[in-house]
Amino acid sequence: MSQNVDKQPEQAGNKLFIDVGSTYFKVSTPTSIEQHFRDFNKTILDDLMHKCGSTVDQFAKEDIYICSSANGGLSTLLIGITNSFSIKYATNIAFNSGINIIDTVLLQNIEEYSIPSDLIDVVIIVGGTDSHGNIFNDSLYNYVQQLNYSNIVYVGTQQDAARVQENIPGLVVLPNIIDDRLHIVEEHLKEYLTNLYQQDIEGKEDIKHLYEKTANQIFSTPYIVNKALPLIDASFTVANPFILLDIGGATTDVHYSKDLVDENIVTENEYDRLVFKKLGVYKSRQSLIFAAKNNEFVYELLMHLKVTENIFNEHDEKATKILMQLAIFLVLCKMSHYRKAYITLKLLSINSIVFTGGITKVLSVAEVEDIIAFFYKKILTSDHKPTAILDTNYDIWTLGAKEKNLCR
Amino acid sequence: MKVVTGVVGNDIHVVANRLIDLSLRARGFDVFNLGVNTYLEEFFDAAVETGADVILISSLNGEAEGWGREVRAIKSRYKTLDDIIMMIGGNLVVGSGNAEDIEPRYKNYGFDIVCHQIDLNTGLDMLEEFIKERNNP
Repeated sequence: MSQNVDKQPEQAGNKLFIDVGSTYFKVSTPTSIEQHFRDFNKTILDDLMHKCGSTVDQFAKEDIYICSSANGGLSTLLIGITNSFSIKYATNIAFNSGINIIDTVLLQNIEEYSIPSDLIDVVIIVGGTDSHGNIFNDSLYNYVQQLNYSNIVYVGTQQDAARVQENIPGLVVLPNIIDDRLHIVEEHLKEYLTNLYQQDIEGKEDIKHLYEKTANQIFSTPYIVNKALPLIDASFTVANPFILLDIGGATTDVHYSKDLVDENIVTENEYDRLVFKKLGVYKSRQSLIFAAKNNEFVYELLMHLKVTENIFNEHDEKATKILMQLAIFLVLCKMSHYRKAYITLKLLSINSIVFTGGITKVLSVAEVEDIIAFFYKKILTSDHKPTAILDTNYDIWTLGAKEKNLCR
Repeated sequence: MKVVTGVVGNDIHVVANRLIDLSLRARGFDVFNLGVNTYLEEFFDAAVETGADVILISSLNGEAEGWGREVRAIKSRYKTLDDIIMMIGGNLVVGSGNAEDIEPRYKNYGFDIVCHQIDLNTGLDMLEEFIKERNNP
């Protein structure tokens, strides 16, 4: 499956931008954008060269820029001491670094948590201001000993740092992410996680081969999208405040303006990112259906869309369309007071919702707006109708890639 | 001694909050000020993060009446806050009421020191007295 969209040459400069997703890859030249469904029997490089080899070969290695979200990002387990501060702050930093959180553990109840069986890319231990000590004890060490992880980092009170380091081999100690006024300090952990993510992308066998085609660093796609947000007016008529939903094959990313949250986190970012790891329409299809079946409003939504739950067993174009509509509804639910997940956005203040990712190739504006209206009516009991904007040509990603390119 | 303070619930009386902050510092307390519009959980969470000895909640528009009822239930979820001193002050009811009725009600909610329409310095004297008695029974 591929698609070509004409673009004006001056829009993208003389560069080639490639985005490798879990389901599709996109190739943007100064004059067109191609989108291809990935062939999972081939390596990414082979697939790319098979489908777009002639395009790629027209550009020098220095003029090719690649970003990827194909591996879904790093998985993180957070161990903190409160939900309002240490866990919330670490969650915010992890999301903004392109990291996905598989679970959070509250230290005081650590013995009640089950041990995740999967390999965790990075464990983050956090808690306490530097004026407080003796927080971490044997219950933490016993729990950590049972985990299967690749990296572990401590960003809690400096009073406990040495003792925790003695008890946990390989522990990296960074400055506390909570300052003495209980405010967040992002930079050290963010830099550490961003570098880990970067190393992970570069280390993946599939991605590594792409360096045969580019002389530039391969970045994570969420990072590139986040770079584009302040410039979004250049390509779209977006009324602020807005949220951007990137509903992909494996995960769903939400980028939102900081004006939309009433939180005790004060950071320098204009936009924050939130990711739902198991909400996607291809790789994460089963977990999306599971989430849908557990949402009492979904059956009403299916009736509204004139289908039954049998659609979950079908795999045709119509089923994909319905799943994408459900994904929009479920993401909006997760950001509302109903089914709150990590953060609640002021959805009644939103004027635009921008959609990017594979969803823009399947749904029309009318179909998206229908779901938005259903959500506002049923969940927020409001007639508010934010405008839906579909980034059909992947302008946002191109904008972010260009911005990153210009910054270099 | 560390004190976590702030204004509970949907209450934006920031001037009183600043005065409490300044007065506590002047008396030598180490203050963690959560500001206005603070949820009850945030007071307890802040106490856990900082190792605070005292939670001092202020309220001027009667918000405390609703939130105060939740104190025992929420505090019971924390395993390290059994000895924390719970203090509340301000205008603790909607409309008018007398301190004789209000004080036992709030003590029943789980507060150790209750200051309904008492001036700030008197309230902080009560806090210091309470700490002294607790340390030298």
